[in-house]
Order: sequence, then structure tokens, then C-alpha cells
Amino acid sequence: MRVEADLDVCVGSGTCELLAPDVFEVGEDGVVRVLRPQPGQADEDAVRDAVAQCPTGALGLAD
Amino acid sequence: MTVEAVPSGPVDLDAVDLSDRDWWIGPPSVRYATFAALRRERPFAFFAEPEMPGIPVGPGYWAVTRYADLEAISSQPEVFCSGRGAVSIPDVPADLNEFYGSLISMDDPRHAKIRRIVSKAFTPRMLEQLVDGVRAVVDDVLTRARRTAEAQGGSIDVVTDVAAPIPLRVICDMMGVPEEDRAMVLARSNVILSGGDPELIEDENDPVTAFLLAGMELAGLMERLAAERLERPRSDLTTALVTTEVDGERLSNQEIASFFILLLVAGNETTRNAISQGVLALHEHPDQRARWAADPRLDRTAVEEVVRWTSPVTWMRRTATRDGEVNGHRFREGDKFLLLYAAANRDPAVFRDPEVLDLARDPNPHVGFGSKGPHFCLGAHLARRELAVTFRALLDQLPDLEVTGEPDRLRSSFVNGVKRLPARLGRGR
Repeated sequence: MRVEADLDVCVGSGTCELLAPDVFEVGEDGVVRVLRPQPGQADEDAVRDAVAQCPTGALGLAD
Repeated sequence: MTVEAVPSGPVDLDAVDLSDRDWWIGPPSVRYATFAALRRERPFAFFAEPEMPGIPVGPGYWAVTRYADLEAISSQPEVFCSGRGAVSIPDVPADLNEFYGSLISMDDPRHAKIRRIVSKAFTPRMLEQLVDGVRAVVDDVLTRARRTAEAQGGSIDVVTDVAAPIPLRVICDMMGVPEEDRAMVLARSNVILSGGDPELIEDENDPVTAFLLAGMELAGLMERLAAERLERPRSDLTTALVTTEVDGERLSNQEIASFFILLLVAGNETTRNAISQGVLALHEHPDQRARWAADPRLDRTAVEEVVRWTSPVTWMRRTATRDGEVNGHRFREGDKFLLLYAAANRDPAVFRDPEVLDLARDPNPHVGFGSKGPHFCLGAHLARRELAVTFRALLDQLPDLEVTGEPDRLRSSFVNGVKRLPARLGRGR
């Protein structure tokens, strides 16, 4: 699993950081930073949840 | 103790008028039963617009109650725009737009650029630094509430003594509003979100003047602070508003004033009502209250459930920019849609047992902070933090808090507001 973020679309809502804090962080510039683009299995469910719940659809998954 | 009835029995939808403000102060059980019937039978129900003296009545609106429909509309901002008004059913008269034509009623690309100016101040990391501040505010407010109760034979008002001062102090700290101006800020934001409730505005027949005066007074405060910050910048939000440049341009005075007002009003009214309505919900569900009191690990999910359950902002409006179709519903350019978050938040297609308050609910994809799209609540983290700290402190420090009477509800469809909620501290235990 590989996580991608579209920084032009991100509004820094931080929903992802709330759901998967080990993988996402909203940086000082107000947009997301993917801390671990290839998260481990333990985080997979949380990451899928975060991708699905991102309000602006800024996150995507690639295999 | 009263338990909110699970909606059952038939609802006569032909007799329902969501534009009737008095309907909104009725029993929540009727409100939620009506939402359930609308979701089932008329997911796009058409209503005539409410009459507001001094504001021309528009063509009416579609009330959207299903989660999937609401999400479909919210996630297509180019088709369903905010720029023709998001927080008012009638189009806002031009003279009010100066104070209320803010970010929330704006479309991209301008919206995105302006939002970036302040989004930095609302990241989880920035708020981490605020936590001690929030905790100190909450501790102080609860200590004062205890003292007030002792002076008044045990009785307090949850709204005045607990729910209102917490977000007021937090947002005013963030914006750098001096102590002596804060009572005015609270009073004026009450007017702005009064929905014309006659208790909160001087002349029920002239709400436009009341809104205008409230906007002017808050804009006056902003002008004073802006001049000070330009001379001596600080690390507050007001400094960011007046000094940041977007594409090499500063914000216009109108943009600064309306943004300042938006932050103050949104920062105050929403969290206050989430606290008041949350206290009421815990009173009505003593088993859930006991469960949360005993287990701080519930804080994260419980806060989300309180927001789902209370839906402090009932709706936002969108307006179609062209003819089209959404989930089988045909619409015309100019059609207005009311996204009823409070209804979507109890949609059984998404939430199992939606009429049950479950503080451990997980996942909880509620739309209490808005649905998909660029207008998702800017202050969601701040609200989450304030609510987590407040409820933990309430459960730990005021375990003897008992609601003793019915809430006095705000006569507004827009905010799920409570004006007063009588309670008691310290007796009967």
C-alpha cells in the first residue's frame, strides 16, 4: 500500500491526522505531510478510513 | 429524568414546514422523527422560504436529508456553490454582505487562497500548544461555576456559567481580543445567530438593522485591533489577517472584517451549543455518562458522538450554478439546497442504530463539521480539543452536576441552540 497526497486540493482539515496519526501530519504550512508513504499492516485500516474520509479527496492509495 | 423517545409512528409531512421557526423549538423527538420520514419519503422536499422582515422572500429551497445526497452535493462545489449565500436561506441584502460575506459564502479559487492564511493557525500541531491554555480556561470556568452555585443555593445555568465562557475565552485569546471587549463580542455574536429570536434582538420586526449594527460594532473592534497589529504585530490570528499577503495582495478591509466576524461568531456559537446540548444528552443518557466518566480512553470517540448527536450547525445552503441532476433529482440553475447535517447524521444507511447515543461509536463518519468539499469546518480540531478538555473536566470536577429543568431552545433553524439550561451542583448527593 502506498499513500499519495494532492497538496493543491488539501485544505489541512487534519481528519487524516486524527484517524492515522502515525502516517499523516498537517504541517506548519497548513497542508498534509505523509510521514510514512508506505504504512505497515497495523495502520492499513486507519489509513483506508483516512483516505475515505478526507473532505477534499486529497488522499489516494496506490498498490 | 427524561429519555428522548425513539422516533416512531407516522409523521404528516404535508403539515411540516421547516421554515416555521417555532417548529425548531419543539421537541427534538418530533424533529428527528420528521427527518426520518423526510429521508424515507421525500429526500428532496421543497419548502417555501421563511419570511424575514426587510428581506425579500426568494423562490424556496430543497431540503436534503439523506447522507448520500448531501455528500454528493457538498462534494461538487463547482455545481453547487456557496458564493450566493451559505448561512442564510434568503439571498443576503448587499449592505449586510460587507460584514457577513466571508469565506464561508465564497467559492474557489478565492476561498482556497484566503483559507490558507488562517489554516496554519488551526492545525493539530498549533492547537497542541494551545491545550494548556484551554485546560486553564476550563479549570477556571468550572471553579467559578462552583462558586456561583455556592452563592445561589446550588443552582447554575449550564449555558451562562459553563458553555458560553469557555469558547468565548479561547477564541478571543486566539484572536487577541482584549478582556474588556469580550462581553460585547458574546452579545453581538448572539444577535448574529439569533435567527431573529425576539429575546436576542431589540425589534423583532427589524432584524436587518440588528444584524447591521452587530456587524458594524464587531467591524469597529476589528479596525481598532487591526491598526494596533499593523504597528505592533503579535502572534495572534488578527495579525495574520492584516499582515498576510495572498498573491502579493493584502486582504481588503471588507474581507478582513467579515473574516474576523466569521471566526468570532463561529468560534463561539458552535462549541457553546455542543457543550450545552452535550450536557443535556449525558443527562438524558445516564448510563453513557457513567461509562464516559469511568473511562477517559473514550474521550476521542465520545467527542465525535457528541458532535454527531447535537449537530450544532443544522444546515448550510448551496445554490446550483447550472441545470442538472443529482442522485435522480433534477434541478435548475439557481435552485437552493439546504444540506441538513442534523438529518444526515441520523441516516440509518450510514449509522447503525442512529437514534442511539453510543459514545464508543467507531467509525463515526458524521457530518457535524460539514461533509465532503472545501468548506469542511476550519475549526474542527479546535472544537474537538475544547470539547475533549471540557467534558473530561466536567466529568472529573463536577460529577455532581445535575440538569434540573427543560432547556430553553433558540428559535432558529440554523443553529441547534440552547439559551438556558438550569442545573444544580452539590445537593442531593
